[in-house]
Amino acid sequence: MTGILVTNGLTKRYGGLTANDAVAMTLAAGEVRGLIGPNGAGKTTFVNVITGIERPDSGEVALDGKAITGLGPHRIAARGLVRSFQVARVFGNLTVRENLMVPYFASEQTSGTATGVARMVELLRLSTLEPLADAPAKSLSGGQRMLLQACAGFMIPGVKVHVLDEPFAGINPVVKDTLIELILQENRSGATFLIVSHEMDIIRRICPRVTVMIAGKVAAEGPLEEIARREDVVTAYLGRSLQ
Amino acid sequence: MYSTELLIQTLISGVMIGVLYALMALGITFIYSIVRMINWAMGEFYMLGSYIQYVVVAYALGRNYWWLAIIVSTAGTFLIGYLLEPILIKPMHARAMERRDDYATVVTIALLLMLRSLAVAIGGPYQYRPETNLPIMWVGPLPMEGARVMASVFALVALALFWLVISKTWIGLALRAAAQNRVAAQTSGVDVFRLDAVAFAIGVALAGLAGALLAPLFLVYPTNGAVTTVKGFEIIVIGGLGSIPGALIGGVLLGVVESLGAAFISSPYQNAYGFVLVLLILLIRPYGLFGERGREA
Repeated sequence: MTGILVTNGLTKRYGGLTANDAVAMTLAAGEVRGLIGPNGAGKTTFVNVITGIERPDSGEVALDGKAITGLGPHRIAARGLVRSFQVARVFGNLTVRENLMVPYFASEQTSGTATGVARMVELLRLSTLEPLADAPAKSLSGGQRMLLQACAGFMIPGVKVHVLDEPFAGINPVVKDTLIELILQENRSGATFLIVSHEMDIIRRICPRVTVMIAGKVAAEGPLEEIARREDVVTAYLGRSLQ
Repeated sequence: MYSTELLIQTLISGVMIGVLYALMALGITFIYSIVRMINWAMGEFYMLGSYIQYVVVAYALGRNYWWLAIIVSTAGTFLIGYLLEPILIKPMHARAMERRDDYATVVTIALLLMLRSLAVAIGGPYQYRPETNLPIMWVGPLPMEGARVMASVFALVALALFWLVISKTWIGLALRAAAQNRVAAQTSGVDVFRLDAVAFAIGVALAGLAGALLAPLFLVYPTNGAVTTVKGFEIIVIGGLGSIPGALIGGVLLGVVESLGAAFISSPYQNAYGFVLVLLILLIRPYGLFGERGREA
């Protein structure tokens, strides 16, 4: 099976704990996939392993048909697999503008500074961060940092897959809607998304398909409505069946 | 005993030596903020800079081109740092290592010993003095050694260049980003390992420059970097580890305090006045003038 992002037998252990157990997942180009699961299911570990923050113990990751297993984070980003963190990692002492330009300049862009600046201006407008463009990122609220972090990823030309780890956690509804709009817009221009989230309403709105992880394994995959009826999934979330 | 002229002269010479101390402190603090390690061999890069200055002036360019030799010495130390970093320092970050600080300390102290021994083996335990063609210069009403004046001028130019690179160029932006969050810089696509090498090279080149500039005044010998390194660390305590303004202002402050103490109290204790300042700072602001509490990435 071909896909833009394919993992096979991906396993990561911490001592005796198997955080990811032979995870096989295939993302089709252009989809917005949700990744859900109870706390401790291994979702963040999976994100860390595919983006090079941690090395897998076994298994492979392929992006657009090429193996990226075990590459360093900056190489993986350069290949077009870009991530955000659960707690937004922005550069606090750099301005919002500078935060956006770091990933643009770091990428092997060939289109020059003017293109980057034009893109930055567009993203500042779409993200409503424009009035804060010259403020240091540490002065931003939690939600604004999440927006900034996502936009920083969108600054990299030619990204194939964006992996967002809990992008909606703890941010207010207005910022949430802005972020959703941005994600959908990027998706329309061709980027694939994998979104880890506990916010079922948003997942239902924007992800036609979801993957469920339970105890380090892929437990189910398909449309959310279908999956929500499966007893093993419900049990894993609630600790017992609903009956 | 008190005279305005003496006070002004003391202040000027304090500021002049202070900017040279600041070069050392800036190098230490800059390497720390990017590579996350203390380079204990800074004084040996100072020493390398001074030896290159001597060799280039004495055997190649001659005293009239002392200024070109300064550039060669700085570039030479930069290159040595750039080549050494991937071999000696990079393993600290590339592998998940438990005691990174211990690793960096052991490796840089080993480097310190190796470079000193190398200097003794090649040049012997002798003192050398690279010549310049500089005459006595007048700073306002005061006569001063030309080499001392030009050392300060060069140091100021270097500090201005450093500021330009850090605040106006892409590599400067990447360096500032990496100093704040290594992982976020990596996931943004920045090759932080290459930046480490650049930062290490810039840091040791600042020490090499100080060594080359001060060589005509403080001479060239295997342990000539020791005193200046101690000053560099005094400044780090005064200004705060990881702070660039702290390094600059701390450097000038240390230079002025030492000069004032030497002029108005007693000159044999010149090196002690700085420690009094360090003790005062530790009592009032233990994290330094510009330091932040609990800085750790």
